Amino acid sequence: MFDALTPSEIEAVRLSLKVAAVSVAASLPVGFALAWLLARRSFPGKTLLDAVVHLPLVLPPVVVGYFLLVLFGRRGPIGAWLEQTFGLIFAFRWTGAALACALMGLPLMVRAMRQSLEAIDRRLESAAATLGAGRFWVLASVTIPLSLPGIVTGMLLSFARSLGEFGATITFVSNIPGETQTLPLAIYTYTQVPGGDAQAMRLCVMAVLLSLAALLVSEIVVRRANRRILGDAH
Amino acid sequence: MRIDVDVKKKLGRFRLRAAFSGEAAVTALFGRSGCGKSTILNLVAGLLRPERGRIAIGDRVLYDSAAGIDVPAEKRRVGYVFQDGLLLPHLSVRQNLLYGRFFTLPGERWAELDKIVALLDLAPLLERRPQRLSGGEKQRVAIGRALLASPRLLLMDEPLASLDAARRGEILYYIERLRDEVSVPIVYVSHEIEEVVRLAGHMVLLSDGEVAASGPVHDLMSRIELRNLIGRYEGGAVIETKVVAQDLRTGLARLAFAGGALLVPDVDALVGEPLRVRIRARDVSIAIEQPRGVSVLNCLPGRVVQIGAEPGASVDVRLDVSGTPLLARITRHSAERLALEPGKDVWAMVKAVSLDRPSVGYA
Amino acid sequence: MKNAYAKFLAILGFSLLCAAAQAQSTIVFAAASLKNALDDIAALAPVKPTISYGASSALAKQIEASAPAQVFISADLDWMDYLERRKLIREGTRRNLLGNKLVLIAPAGSSLKAGIGPGFPLAQLLGDGRLATADPQSVPAGRYTKAALEKLGVWDSVAGRLAPTADVRAALALVARGEAPLGAVYATDAAVEPKVRVVAAFPDGSHPAIVYPAALTSSAPATGIAADFLALLSSPRARGIFEKYGFTPLN
Repeated sequence: MFDALTPSEIEAVRLSLKVAAVSVAASLPVGFALAWLLARRSFPGKTLLDAVVHLPLVLPPVVVGYFLLVLFGRRGPIGAWLEQTFGLIFAFRWTGAALACALMGLPLMVRAMRQSLEAIDRRLESAAATLGAGRFWVLASVTIPLSLPGIVTGMLLSFARSLGEFGATITFVSNIPGETQTLPLAIYTYTQVPGGDAQAMRLCVMAVLLSLAALLVSEIVVRRANRRILGDAH
Repeated sequence: MRIDVDVKKKLGRFRLRAAFSGEAAVTALFGRSGCGKSTILNLVAGLLRPERGRIAIGDRVLYDSAAGIDVPAEKRRVGYVFQDGLLLPHLSVRQNLLYGRFFTLPGERWAELDKIVALLDLAPLLERRPQRLSGGEKQRVAIGRALLASPRLLLMDEPLASLDAARRGEILYYIERLRDEVSVPIVYVSHEIEEVVRLAGHMVLLSDGEVAASGPVHDLMSRIELRNLIGRYEGGAVIETKVVAQDLRTGLARLAFAGGALLVPDVDALVGEPLRVRIRARDVSIAIEQPRGVSVLNCLPGRVVQIGAEPGASVDVRLDVSGTPLLARITRHSAERLALEPGKDVWAMVKAVSLDRPSVGYA
Repeated sequence: MKNAYAKFLAILGFSLLCAAAQAQSTIVFAAASLKNALDDIAALAPVKPTISYGASSALAKQIEASAPAQVFISADLDWMDYLERRKLIREGTRRNLLGNKLVLIAPAGSSLKAGIGPGFPLAQLLGDGRLATADPQSVPAGRYTKAALEKLGVWDSVAGRLAPTADVRAALALVARGEAPLGAVYATDAAVEPKVRVVAAFPDGSHPAIVYPAALTSSAPATGIAADFLALLSSPRARGIFEKYGFTPLN
C-alpha cells in the first residue's frame, strides 16, 4: 500500500490541485463581490440573491451538474456564447471541472467572507473617508485587510470543497482520465473496478493529506492576520 | 475663516433644522445628548447628506442643494476626530498618522509629521499599535492623524467624553495648544460647558434639532433665558482677563478685566498672559452695601440689569459690572428682601476659592 | 390537550404501520438500462417493489457492502459472477433473463451516416467532439463498447476521445443534449429517447453477447415476495413488456 503512486494516480492528484486552485482563484473576486453586496447593501431582491447563492449548498450536486450542463455545455446558451466570443470551452475539459468546483464552493466562500465583513466597524471606513480615502482606497486599505481572516477562511473552505467535489463534476464533464478525473472521481472509479480497493485507499489517504495541508496553511495565515488586526497582545 | 452651515435633515423621527455661522478659532456646538450636534458634524464631513441646505468653509462650498453641489467626503478636506478615536487597528501609530497624508496632494500639505508629533507629544508612541494605547494616547493620535491630512477644518466630536477626569485635563491642554498654534478652524461638539467655555470663541446652542442661540461665548453665557439649555447649575458669566500680578506669598494672582480685577488662587500663568474666567452664577452673592469684615476677596460694584422670571425658589439676576455682565443666583426670597430691581446699585461678591482650576483657562 | 395527544398517537401509529407495510415490499437493484421496462412490470406486481437503478458495477459493489437488495438484475455476466464468487447470490435462483443490442447513436437532428465495420473511421466521425459511453473500465455498457471497438481495430484511435459516464443512461443524456456527437448505448435505450437516432448497430460478433442475468441475493428468503417478483420477470406478461421495449427475452 505504501508503494509510490502510479502515473495515473499522480495525474489525478495533479489535476485535483490544478482544478481546486483555479476554481478558488476564479471564484475569489465573484465571492468577495457577492459577500460585500450582501453585507453592505440593501436592495430589492436581496433575500432572493442570498438564497440563490446558497443553492449549491442545499441542492444535490448532480442537480447542480445538470444545470451546468444545460447552461454551459457546448449547446448551452452561455457555453455556446463563451466558445464563440472567447474560445472558452467548459464541456469535457478541466475548465468545466473547475467551474463545477467553483460553483459548489461559492456558498461556503461567500458565507465566511460575509461574516468577516459584517464584523468590521463601519465607522472605521468613515474615518478613512474623512482622511481622504476614496471608495477604492477604503476597500483596499481598510476593508480587505480587516476582513482578511474571513477571506482566507472562505478560500480554504472552497478549496477543500473542490478537492472533494464529485457529483456535479461527473455529471457535467464526465470522467475523463487526465482531463476531468479529479481525485474523488478517481477514487470512485477504483472502487468500481474489482481489485481496485488498494488503489482507492491510497488515493483516499492522499486526499486526507492534501486537505490537512490546506487546513494547516490557512490556520497559520489566519492567525497572523488576526494578530495584526487585534494587536500584538494576541 | 468663516464657517456657514444651514442644513435640514430628517433621521427617523428626529428632525434637524440648523443654521449658523461663525468666524472664531473654535466654534462650539453645545447641547444635551440627542440634540443633533453629532449629526451636524457628520453632515459637514460629508458622511451624511442633508435634504436641503448649504455648507461652506470660507469661500469653498462643500454642499449646496440649490446649486447641485455635493462634494464627496474624501474630497472635502474636513478632518474628523471621533469620540472613540477610531484608529485603524491593523496599522501602527505612525502608519495611522500618515494615512491621510498619502491622499493629500503635495501642494496642499501644510502639516508636518515632526511638528505634529512634537505638538501632541507622540514620539514614544510611534511604533506602537492602537490596541496598546491608553484612552488619552488614542485621542492624541486621533487628533494628530486628522491634522496630518492637512484639513481646512477640524471637527471634534466630544473628544473627551470617553476619558477619565485626569485624562480630560491633559487632552484639553493639547487641544488648547492646537487652537493657539495651528491655524485650522475647529468645530467642537460637547455637552460639557466647561470644555466649551475654555476652548470656544463662538458658541452654537442646540436644542431638539434647532439652533436656540448662536454668538460669542461670553454673551450666551450671561443670558438668563438660555440658562435652562446651558445647565442650571453650571451657568455663569465668562470673562476675558489678563494677569497683572502674581503674589508668591499669598499664592494669589490678580486678573484684570474691564469691570475691575479678580483675585484668584493657584493660577498657573505668567504676568501678561490672557486668561478666561468662568464665574458660576451660584458662586456670586449680592450685597446692597459695600461688604465689610467678610472673607470674600472679590467684591465688585455693579448694577442690577435684569431679574429672571422663572418660577421656583431661586432666581437669576444679571448684573452689569462696569460693562462686564455677571450672573448671580440667589433665592427669590432674598431678592425680595433686598428689594432688588433693575437699575439698583449693588455689590457682587465672588469667593476667590470658587474660581478653581476648571474655571480658569487660557483664552 | 388530550385531543392533541390522541392525534399524536394516531399519527405515530399510522406511520409505524406505513413503515411496516414498506418493510413488506422487496428491494430490487437493476441495471440502469432496464428503467422504463421494469417500471411497467413493477406495476403488475401485487406488492410494488422498490427499485434502485444504476450501473451494474456500482450496484454489485453496494450489494457486496451489505446493501439490503433482494433481487439483482445485472447488464452483464461478469458482475453477477463477481457476486456469486463471494457467495452473495442465493444458489439456484440465477437465470439469464434478457438479451440486448449495442448501437451507435447521434443527436436526433444530426444527419451523420456511417456503417460500423472493421477499421471504420470513428475518430473522423467524432470531429472535435467525444464519444459518450458508460465507463469502459467498470460499467457493462462501456465494457461491451470497448470490446467491440477493440475487435474492430478502432479502440486506439478513440481511447483518448471518450466521455466516460457513471452509467449508460447518462451517456444517452449527453447525446440527447447534443453535447456529444456520438454515443454507444443499448438499442433499448435509444428506443426510449426521442432526441437521439440510431446511426448503426454494432455487429453481433464484435462483442460478447449482451446477457442480463437475474437472481435473488443471499439475504432474500427462498420463498416470499422477492422470489415472486423474480418469477414475475419470466412471466408471459413481463416478457411481452420487455419485447415492447426492444429487449430479447431469453429462456
